[in-house]
Amino acid sequence: MAGFSSFSLFLQVFINGIFLGCMYGVAALGLSLIFGSMQIIFLAQGAVMILAAYCIYWIVTLTSIDPFFGFLLIIPVFLGFGWVIYKGLFQRVAKAGKNPSLLLAFGLMVLFEHLMSLIWTPNTRSVATNYSTSAFGLWDINISVTRFIVSIVALITTGIVFLFLKRTMVGKAVRGVSEDMQAAALLGISPNWISSVTFAIGIALAGIAGVATCITYAFDPYFGFLFSLKALIAVAFGGLGSVAGALLGGITLGVLESLSSYIISAGWADAVAYAAFLLILVFRPEGLIGRRSAQRA
Amino acid sequence: MLLLFFLVYPLLVNVETSYMVYFFYTTFIYVALSQGWNLVAGYAGQVSLGQHAFFGIGCYVTAITWRAGWAGYFDPLGMFMSGMGAALVAVVIGWPLLAKLRGDYFSLGTLGLGEILRVIALRGGRFTEGAEGIGLPSSAYLSMSYYYYIALLIVIITLVSLWFLTHSNIGLALIAIREDETAAAANGINTLKYKILAFAVGAFITALCGSLDAYYTFHVHAGGAFNLNWIIIPILMTILGGVGTFWGPILGAFILATIFEMTNIWMPELHPIFSAAFIVLVTLFLPDGLISYLTGYKHQILQRLFFLNGYFKRGKERRGFKNMRSQN
Repeated sequence: MAGFSSFSLFLQVFINGIFLGCMYGVAALGLSLIFGSMQIIFLAQGAVMILAAYCIYWIVTLTSIDPFFGFLLIIPVFLGFGWVIYKGLFQRVAKAGKNPSLLLAFGLMVLFEHLMSLIWTPNTRSVATNYSTSAFGLWDINISVTRFIVSIVALITTGIVFLFLKRTMVGKAVRGVSEDMQAAALLGISPNWISSVTFAIGIALAGIAGVATCITYAFDPYFGFLFSLKALIAVAFGGLGSVAGALLGGITLGVLESLSSYIISAGWADAVAYAAFLLILVFRPEGLIGRRSAQRA
Repeated sequence: MLLLFFLVYPLLVNVETSYMVYFFYTTFIYVALSQGWNLVAGYAGQVSLGQHAFFGIGCYVTAITWRAGWAGYFDPLGMFMSGMGAALVAVVIGWPLLAKLRGDYFSLGTLGLGEILRVIALRGGRFTEGAEGIGLPSSAYLSMSYYYYIALLIVIITLVSLWFLTHSNIGLALIAIREDETAAAANGINTLKYKILAFAVGAFITALCGSLDAYYTFHVHAGGAFNLNWIIIPILMTILGGVGTFWGPILGAFILATIFEMTNIWMPELHPIFSAAFIVLVTLFLPDGLISYLTGYKHQILQRLFFLNGYFKRGKERRGFKNMRSQN
């Protein structure tokens, strides 16, 4: 507990880390799902998130509705958006192998980033509501209302995705494809259809994370890539292909960053996160709680 | 032919004001960077996303040795030390990464490496001078033609070493590892040794470019030296031309550099959007790279048209023929 004047301060930093980590978790979940079915790291995840954040920012500024309605609005829109991107672009490229898909994701990321900076200018934005700064006290610690609700939304989202994968036939097919695509295809599951479903869900999850970002943090068009990297680290922490792992990995990362930026300094937080990332990759490539082997060539 | 043109070209124009000389200089650097990545990812099949780490190491070693007085301006020793420093880091870091991680996990690990080094350079105190970076005495500047010829020399060194590497047993071992690492190991190839070798040679080439860039900008700072562009743009160029081919990255570098420059001149505001849209279109319509288009049987007419028949043979096929002949 070195460096903390009191236990409640430690708890405060810890709780803030958990709130931050819940958002990493949702973004990581989308990344992990897309990786499972398409075997690529969807680099544009962060850019899609920021796109959702800008959409909500726009709607809130123009119509002054409550930003929390954005969650309801963004889910169907981004499900459709993801489906269109998969059918229009990735389905065609996926046949050619992994490298072109990765390149395509990168191209989309740059395209989104610069289109956003053209449409909404590269200035930093944030959505302000009359309850943005309100907080409630729990023992000695302050809990921001918006961050608390956003974290609850993140938990609910993860729960829904978890149930979807475990309890529905489509969810089972998704898990089947991510475990062995050829075997799944032999059993009559169309990998293309499953990939489009997974991709749409992944994009919708990015949208949810984006709405969460725009409610709780300030953002600019180029913020997304950093978030993609963070989501990637969260996925590595939790182990690829695990739903609960993605959320727990995100929370671990959030707490780690929050604590290290308090104890050492804010600039070193990234280095600590990446160092932990490298160590986990080398010593526990299956993630902190995962069981699956990483030796899949 | 082409080499002769590039050797003579600066003698024909005013080097200091010619835009083309500058353009060729940057393109040469990109050719070398692309080939450095191509050796690791295209031939050995280890998709590294951390080449910008080696570029940054090249920049910083050059700047620090110059500041300390160990090597001067355009000192071959300084450039060699930059390359060796990066190769050393590649061996030390690459050993655990390449031994433990395969496929995407290796890519993620190398990406983390670059980001850690960037933060270390930012927080390095007096040694790296933090966010301001190290300023070098720009009064040392001599002439643009030095930069041009040194970049050309780096390209020639890169291409010659790549040619000999890929046309030797080492190249065969690397391709075997790319195609099936387990089978390669079962056939008695020390996979780790060859992977580390490719990684280190790629790092050496990349760091040479970083060193030259440090001499060119006279200012080394973490944001520029460890910029992700130093890995992203070479990857795009290599994939555009054709991964794992000798001519692909060269062609890709020239085409993409031309497009970047032209959009930069004619529509500076839309330049990144146009470039990104171009990348998306290329992956949609030419996912195997331009070289595969030129070597494909369907397009032999195109080859005949440009008298390029048999010129762009893929390395694998050519080696295959050679082996067959030697067996007979």
